[in-house]
Amino acid sequence: MKTKTRNDILQGPLALLVLKTLASNGRMHGYAITAHIKNVSANLLRVEEGSLYPALHRMEQDGWLRSEWGVTERKREARFYTITRRGHRQLAEEEACWTQLTDGVARVLGYV
Amino acid sequence: MSRRRRFWNVFRAARVQDDIQRELAFHLAERADQLRADGLSAEEATRLARRQLGNLSVQAERTRDADVALWADACARNVRFAVRALARNPGFAIPVALTLALGIGANTAVFSAIDTILLQPLPFPDGDRLMRVTQTSDDSAETNIAPARLEDWNRLSDTFEAITGYFMEDVSDTSGELPERVRRAFVAPRFLDVWGMAPARGRDFVAAEHQDGGPSAVLISDRYWRSRLGGNPNALGSPVRIGATSYPIVGIMPAAFRFPDRDVDLWLPSTAAASAPRAATWYEGVGRLEPGVTVDQARADLAVVQTQLGAQYPDTDAAVAVSVVPLKDAAVGGVRGSLWLLFGAVSVLLLIMCTNIAALLLSRAVQRQQEVAVRFALGASRVTLAAQMLTETAVLVFVGASISLLVVAGASAAFRMLAPTFPRLDEVSISWSMVLCTVVSAIVVAVFCGLFPAIRCARGLDALGAAGRAHVSHRHSLQWLLVGVQVALSVMLLAGAGLLLRSVQELSRVAPGFDVSRVLTFRVSGSYAESRDYNRVVQRIDGTLDELQALPGVDSAATATMLPGVPGQYEIEFTLVEGRADTEPRLVAESRFVSPSYFETMQIPVLDGEPCRRRPVGESDVMVNRAFAERYFTPRSPIGLHLVDSGRIVGIVGDARERGIDRDPVPTVYACFSAPNPMPAYLVRTRGEPEGMAQAVRVKLKELEPLRSVYDIAPLDEQIGSAFSENRLRSWLLALFAGTALSLACVSLYGTLSYTTRLRRREIGLRLALGAGRGGVVRQLLASALRVVGLACVIGLGLTALFTRVLSGMLFGVSTTDPATLAGVVALVLTVAVFAALLPAVRAALLEPVRVLREE
Repeated sequence: MKTKTRNDILQGPLALLVLKTLASNGRMHGYAITAHIKNVSANLLRVEEGSLYPALHRMEQDGWLRSEWGVTERKREARFYTITRRGHRQLAEEEACWTQLTDGVARVLGYV
Repeated sequence: MSRRRRFWNVFRAARVQDDIQRELAFHLAERADQLRADGLSAEEATRLARRQLGNLSVQAERTRDADVALWADACARNVRFAVRALARNPGFAIPVALTLALGIGANTAVFSAIDTILLQPLPFPDGDRLMRVTQTSDDSAETNIAPARLEDWNRLSDTFEAITGYFMEDVSDTSGELPERVRRAFVAPRFLDVWGMAPARGRDFVAAEHQDGGPSAVLISDRYWRSRLGGNPNALGSPVRIGATSYPIVGIMPAAFRFPDRDVDLWLPSTAAASAPRAATWYEGVGRLEPGVTVDQARADLAVVQTQLGAQYPDTDAAVAVSVVPLKDAAVGGVRGSLWLLFGAVSVLLLIMCTNIAALLLSRAVQRQQEVAVRFALGASRVTLAAQMLTETAVLVFVGASISLLVVAGASAAFRMLAPTFPRLDEVSISWSMVLCTVVSAIVVAVFCGLFPAIRCARGLDALGAAGRAHVSHRHSLQWLLVGVQVALSVMLLAGAGLLLRSVQELSRVAPGFDVSRVLTFRVSGSYAESRDYNRVVQRIDGTLDELQALPGVDSAATATMLPGVPGQYEIEFTLVEGRADTEPRLVAESRFVSPSYFETMQIPVLDGEPCRRRPVGESDVMVNRAFAERYFTPRSPIGLHLVDSGRIVGIVGDARERGIDRDPVPTVYACFSAPNPMPAYLVRTRGEPEGMAQAVRVKLKELEPLRSVYDIAPLDEQIGSAFSENRLRSWLLALFAGTALSLACVSLYGTLSYTTRLRRREIGLRLALGAGRGGVVRQLLASALRVVGLACVIGLGLTALFTRVLSGMLFGVSTTDPATLAGVVALVLTVAVFAALLPAVRAALLEPVRVLREE
């Protein structure tokens, strides 16, 4: 399937952040992903919970993630996500894109 | 891959939904735990967690949208919606589905018949390479081939793999207790090679069996093997008794092999020597082309071969030419026209049905305008609404197409029952090509029927207000156009059916020149081998005639080569012993052999001279008909002259439609000879109903000839009737289609007028309130309907002119522009239209003006 590059500033970074999180941490459920992003960004970024699940499901349908049901340490049933190989490729692409974008924005802002 | 998963998720809706609920519930629980850990109370934690996630059901919905293919989801929803909407309105759904089932079913049935009978090759290996090979000559109607010539053709041609021949006779099978009629074919060498078939068990004939005096042998049909021998696997070698002779069975043919016709049960090797005279006529010929050879090449090749033979044998072969026709054309050529006619009619009917359904859907769309407008206002997109209308149609078509397969199955059975004489009918069956055909028609119909309402739905819904207060506008013109199309096509079909029915009627009214009623006909089995001793054959047949004549209840009995009035011709050129000037026309005439009692039996009057008498073999009397005498001998009389090979002309009889009751009488020569071949047709004039004599005749013949069987026993009018059964079937089917078309058109007219008057209620109410007469309202509404119908009739008559061009060959006794028929059709259509329009018009005129005006 064709990979999509989203211009949507909300969606774009969210997918990137989720992919990155799963790439570095392995298997995680949705709640853990929000917590991780919040902690790592030192509370700078807060994933809007309303967008998370649709995004996760869409990414799964796109084949970037795989999900399965499992049990947490506290014996709760949760849906765990892992990143797929296609997800890794997408992550690389989006990271490059993001870097370019922030670079570009920084240059424009830095121009006197 | 994921596209597929999303598609399937549409149908796993509950499961997907449940997963999402559980996932979100987990999230909420974790978040609440976290908040509680941060110091909130349990209750507050739960509330805050929920608030942070947002509206739960919206969340679930949005998440689900990510999981399913939206288009497929929409489709499924549309289908569910359509099924619900249709189930709520069975008065609309059932007629539409049935109409479709009938239309598609009839179309598919007729097309599958055409496919099998006309388009598919014959059911033999490379059936398209099989050719009917006949000899023709200017002065004789004889097409059968002398054995020597057949062998010459086979040897000298290089475009044919092989040419062979056969002839058939009905003989008496005496293997069992009672003699039974069985049809056998004597076949020339190479017979099975030409068909490309081999016996299912046993072997083909060997060369020695084709030699005169060689060992005898018989191949039997699968049917014969099963019905008479009980499918005994050891049947090979056991004997079949014909008359007094036994033949050992050497092979059993496969069930599919039914040639030369489906009644043949036995094949025997012909021992006709190549030394038989070249003027003798024995075989009907068939040949198999070499691969890649065209029919034209084969024709040219055999023409060259025959020219050589003409030079070699000038006496017998110079005047002979060869005709090569694909065997399939020879077999089914007669019904080609009928089948295409039916297909055309059925297609027009399908078109009318589509138009009708489109009109129904259209008025339904208008009825639902309010509902649609509300949904539109609530944010449904035009595409969504149009898709929904299309889905509704698709569901209807799907149901209709499914039912139509039943119609198809029934139709082929009915076809087989009504027209058993149709060639290749037993090959017709429900095939996959037919199913495919149904599906394609269904799709075409769906697009056609669904498109108009959908387009209008997507386009025409300006606002809520407009729906409630419709004006009389150009919008109905589409409805009226559809009604007009249906009426015009109905007129065309009706006119065609009318002309065909008139033909059938004319045919039964025609005076054939002989008396058809109270004549029993039958045949008695015999073999060409008997003709070695012709005196005995004549004795036998004359004896039988005398005995029949003596039966109480029988007025007279006769034999003839062919039944009068049943289509068939045998035209040859006669020569006078007395000679004839070259300037005078050649004596071409239909040649018939009849017993001297024929004219009395058929009640053909002797106009001049004397009735013919029984004479010794070789010196028969000859009768000619009036047409012959007038065409060739006016103002003299032919009586007393002698025809070469026939005899002395002793009398002139009235003209009779010998060649078929649909053909005018032609000059005819009757040679009065009761035994032209060993198995002529018998005709017995009875005093009472002919069927009543059948048993007495059987008993008499059993007594006279215990070893022979009597068959094809039926009254003459029935024989003639069944010869024209295809004709009648075609006419009645077309009439049925036309009637259906007209009723559909009327339903549509009724529906459209009802709908228009509903839209104009306010206007009509207003006019009534202002003092308009009710009669005036009815008149005006009727006029508006009849304007359309009248115009459609005119257009329909124009179409008829095109349509009847196809029909012209099938008509009898009426012209393609028969004013009575055409006027009758128009009158019928107008009358029915008036009735269809009257009800809604009167209903409109009876409106209570006050109530209507208050409604607004």
